[in-house]
Amino acid sequence: MSALTPTQDRMRIDARDKVLGRPLFAADIPLRGLLHAMTTPARIAKGRITAIDTMAAAAVPGVVRVFTHEDFADLRVTPATLGGNQPGFQPLTGTEIVFRGQPVALVVAATLEAATEAAELVEVTYEAAPFTATMDEPGAEPQPYETAVEAGDAAAAMASAEVTVDVEYRHPQNHHNPLEMISTTAHVEDGRLIVREGTQNTNALKFGTAGALGLDPQRVDAVSPYIGGGFGQKNVLQLQSVLVSRAAMALGRPVKLVMPRAQLFHTASHRPASRHRIRLGASRAGRISAAIYESDQENARYDHFLRSAHNEAVSRLYGIPNYLGRERLVRVDTNPPGHMRAPHEHPGSYAFESAVDELSYALGMDPLALRLANDAERDAISGKPFTSRTLAACLDRGAALFGWSERRAAPHSMVAEDGSLVGWGVASGAYKGTMCPCVARLRVQADGLTRLSVSGHEMGQGIRSAVGAELMELLPIRADRLEIRLGDTTAIDQHHTAGSWGTGGAVPAVRAVVGRFMAALTELGGPLRPGESVHTRLMALKRPVLEVEIEHLGTSQGPDALERMRRGGVAVVGPEYPDFVSFSWIAHFVEVRVEPTTRRIRVPRVVSVADCGRVMNRRTATSQVAGGVVWGIGAALREAAEIDPRYGFVLNNDLADYVVPVNADIGAITVDLLDIADPMLNASGVRGVGEVAMVGAAAAVANAVYHATGKRIRHLPIRIDDLL
Amino acid sequence: MRAITYTRPATAQAAITAFAQAGEGARYIAGGTTLYDLMKLGIETPAHLVDVSAIEGLGSIDTGGDVLRFGGMATMADVARDRVVMERYPLLAEALGKAASQQLRNMATVGGNLLQRTRCLYFRNGASGLYPCNKREPGSGCAAIGGLDRGQALLGQSDACTAVSPGDWPVALVALDASVEVEGPDGTRTMPVADLYRMPGDTPHLEFTLRPGEIITAVMVPATAAGRRSTYHKVRDRESYAFALASAAVALEMDGETVREARIALGGVATVPWRARAAEALINGAPLTRERALATGHAAFADARPGRHNAFKIQLGAEVVADAVMIAAGRAS
Ligand SMILES: Cc1cc2nc3c(=O)[nH]c(=O)nc-3n(C[C@H](O)[C@H](O)[C@H](O)COP(=O)(O)OP(=O)(O)OC[C@H]3O[C@@H](n4cnc5c(N)ncnc54)[C@H](O)[C@@H]3O)c2cc1C
Repeated sequence: MSALTPTQDRMRIDARDKVLGRPLFAADIPLRGLLHAMTTPARIAKGRITAIDTMAAAAVPGVVRVFTHEDFADLRVTPATLGGNQPGFQPLTGTEIVFRGQPVALVVAATLEAATEAAELVEVTYEAAPFTATMDEPGAEPQPYETAVEAGDAAAAMASAEVTVDVEYRHPQNHHNPLEMISTTAHVEDGRLIVREGTQNTNALKFGTAGALGLDPQRVDAVSPYIGGGFGQKNVLQLQSVLVSRAAMALGRPVKLVMPRAQLFHTASHRPASRHRIRLGASRAGRISAAIYESDQENARYDHFLRSAHNEAVSRLYGIPNYLGRERLVRVDTNPPGHMRAPHEHPGSYAFESAVDELSYALGMDPLALRLANDAERDAISGKPFTSRTLAACLDRGAALFGWSERRAAPHSMVAEDGSLVGWGVASGAYKGTMCPCVARLRVQADGLTRLSVSGHEMGQGIRSAVGAELMELLPIRADRLEIRLGDTTAIDQHHTAGSWGTGGAVPAVRAVVGRFMAALTELGGPLRPGESVHTRLMALKRPVLEVEIEHLGTSQGPDALERMRRGGVAVVGPEYPDFVSFSWIAHFVEVRVEPTTRRIRVPRVVSVADCGRVMNRRTATSQVAGGVVWGIGAALREAAEIDPRYGFVLNNDLADYVVPVNADIGAITVDLLDIADPMLNASGVRGVGEVAMVGAAAAVANAVYHATGKRIRHLPIRIDDLL
Repeated sequence: MRAITYTRPATAQAAITAFAQAGEGARYIAGGTTLYDLMKLGIETPAHLVDVSAIEGLGSIDTGGDVLRFGGMATMADVARDRVVMERYPLLAEALGKAASQQLRNMATVGGNLLQRTRCLYFRNGASGLYPCNKREPGSGCAAIGGLDRGQALLGQSDACTAVSPGDWPVALVALDASVEVEGPDGTRTMPVADLYRMPGDTPHLEFTLRPGEIITAVMVPATAAGRRSTYHKVRDRESYAFALASAAVALEMDGETVREARIALGGVATVPWRARAAEALINGAPLTRERALATGHAAFADARPGRHNAFKIQLGAEVVADAVMIAAGRAS
């Protein structure tokens, strides 16, 4: 195999189609005789249905059927439906209401308008029960702490530390708000159930649907053509997925449900609120000797969002020999939280990197210098080497690009010409280097066509561009006739795509399938001559087609991983491997300007330098990092679910009132990627970038706000109210 | 589907007749950016829509005379980019330009804008049946009082309602003593824009003083030299595409460094577009300094009664007024 050289600059594979508006997303695909579904959300946060009257709804012209819990009582909850972090509760299977806005009826009609109107006319009588909306309310139930990370003796080291900080940070509930709404479309064809959803996990959709409905999984196909924003919200079987499939089967017609945005705030997953208490101990010279980090994270009463993982990445940022990380969940009456971009690493790094910033001021040390002084050579937690340890290089490069050396140390000391308070903040980030099993099939034809089928899902992150790049780097084929099939269980076996293991899983699998292909081709006619394309060779061999397939495992995974995947499960490895640990790294440098009068906070520029191993496509990777920074700015300064604890529902449940950043909020974002191959982790030398992009970004903003104003705000979002 | 009838007459008289004939449940519709939104939320449930956007002449803009006259159907976008408005009345251009988004401003009209309804979250989540709201259902109570009131009014609220009047444009108009021309079954009348709005009192469901069937045919702004030294300053939770946390429309007439006459109105903080006369009195005749401007801002909030989460708007609002005064004063007369 060729050496791991930097990849060529290539346009995003689907760029042209996307610009022309050509891709059909799951809910766009036309089907003959399609019926439209709409759900009726519960009006209480907890309690019981005592009666349902569907007369008025059924009488709406065009309504085909009104389904209630009586129609779905036989849905089964199986390990497959619970795959990954699927909520352990299927709505519409009984009278119990366990969360705000839980669907209590599913109306199917000939038109969307009729379904919508009828859904509003379903009359439900409830017996409401007392509930606890947030973890700050009475009735919130903390679970026991679990030790997540432990090394050395943190308590003793803390007691003897010369300088300590002890701080608590809070993160609010956030919602993904994808542009592509969550939808399910199902129909039966030739005895097969075909389900379409913009999902990151067609495997869960296939096996979960089969399990819930008692079908043979081999008779269920799941297709996710494109995803218009996944970020973890489309990780699992949605609450409505199997309901739509069942309705389609019962009616013998295709049924489509697109959840309205307002309902998504209550039925789809979200980032749960969390609290973080962090104690750091250091020597006067700035060597961090101890960290004790305890976190609380909201969870539903019944949910399987099993644990938080706030410590996993931050405990690896620095070489802290004595570390204790304890985490607990706090149960409240909410809809199931789930994964949202850098699900634990974002809130964890926000809190931890803020605390490190506080320590730097307590020490009278430059925040960048403190970070560099605590770089680690080996992983202090496991004692193993890192596959690649480039955080210091990211910090150095970022500092140079940003001009950090011009920074004045004292908070509230830099003022712009217009009188704005200027603040410069820095924060580090890490995200586990993960891999998963992957099946790849490569078919090259003499006529110029190449078809690559791989396990993976395209959510705009650019997985097609990444796997396509590896293929084109290694194999002389016609780029304009390359077809990449993924996100489709009929194309090839699928595995959940998330947690930044998409690239780490699929790209090395492509390298492996190319290896097998070349071996087969060579066997047929000797090695390719320089300049010769595979198509020409096949033509010369009078072979219209050559096709090979490979099953590829994540580094150190055994065949059981593949088995798990083929049963619908998730099989991921990392960050700890038998002989090493692996992380992607990032450093963010942020400038904020705070208007002295009104305290408006602006972010004119950000520099982010990331290392994700070998960069498969600089354009898509850069775009991932820029997007992660935008998310960080949103989380730091804008976003929060507003929940009135008396009612329990999210009040700001639309894009006008759930304030995400707009273009005018975003200044210059300079992204650099170190592009250092990581061959110890896998043969392609790649790690993920989509998640690490966001890690630390919010902390860098918050640290900059402190530097500008001298005011340490220990919650997000930081708004005008906090600084006046 | 809830059936609605829809007509699109070509004259105001025909529209008024159509409205009267339609009877109960009739609504005018212009750009539709508020009305359709509220229909989707289940808060507005009209049975008959009388579309006024095709009425001849109502889209005209005449900025040549002693009174600037904007037809009720002129779009926000068109008025905002009118040359005279941009050059001589920056507060008007800014009030329009900082509202909503370009797409919405292309549709929305300067007449319909005056009648948009509150963004109070408890009001807007109406169809859920969860939240009591005296505006939606008189007598049901007010969930915002004692609730999440960061966005609620500090000026003009009652025990029945604390909802903010959301529009930017009316605030600028109130500062310039603008009036509206309305045509209805009983003929044509004009009234100050300020008189279009009712304080909530114990009837917060009655928001406007228009009589049934009346159409806003024009918005009229008396030409004034104060327009040049003016601004609409708006602070919100993001740079664009958001309603005001606090805003100020300010227009100044100056004698050298001294303010001869200030006009100041507030948005985002009050139940109606709020003219701050006491604040104006404090700055009129005084040499202009930032300190004086800030004192003026504070005077504008002297009567503020904050709730649980919106007290920051007293300080913010005062600073917004002060900044607006300084921006306006810095403009060439
Ligand atoms: C997402 C979003 C963000 C927004 N942000 C802002 C903002 O930041 N600042 C701001 O000021 N506004 C904002 N708006 C509101 C927007 O400015 C108004 O929706 C718009 O001005 C209304 O004008 P329209 O012509 O579309 O009115 P319509 O929706 O057609 O009508 C509104 C109301 O006025 C009545 N009506 C309309 N025209 C007449 C007439 N000539 N005579 C009598 N009655 C009439 C209708 O019956 C209806 O009750 C926003 C709106 C949206 C949807």
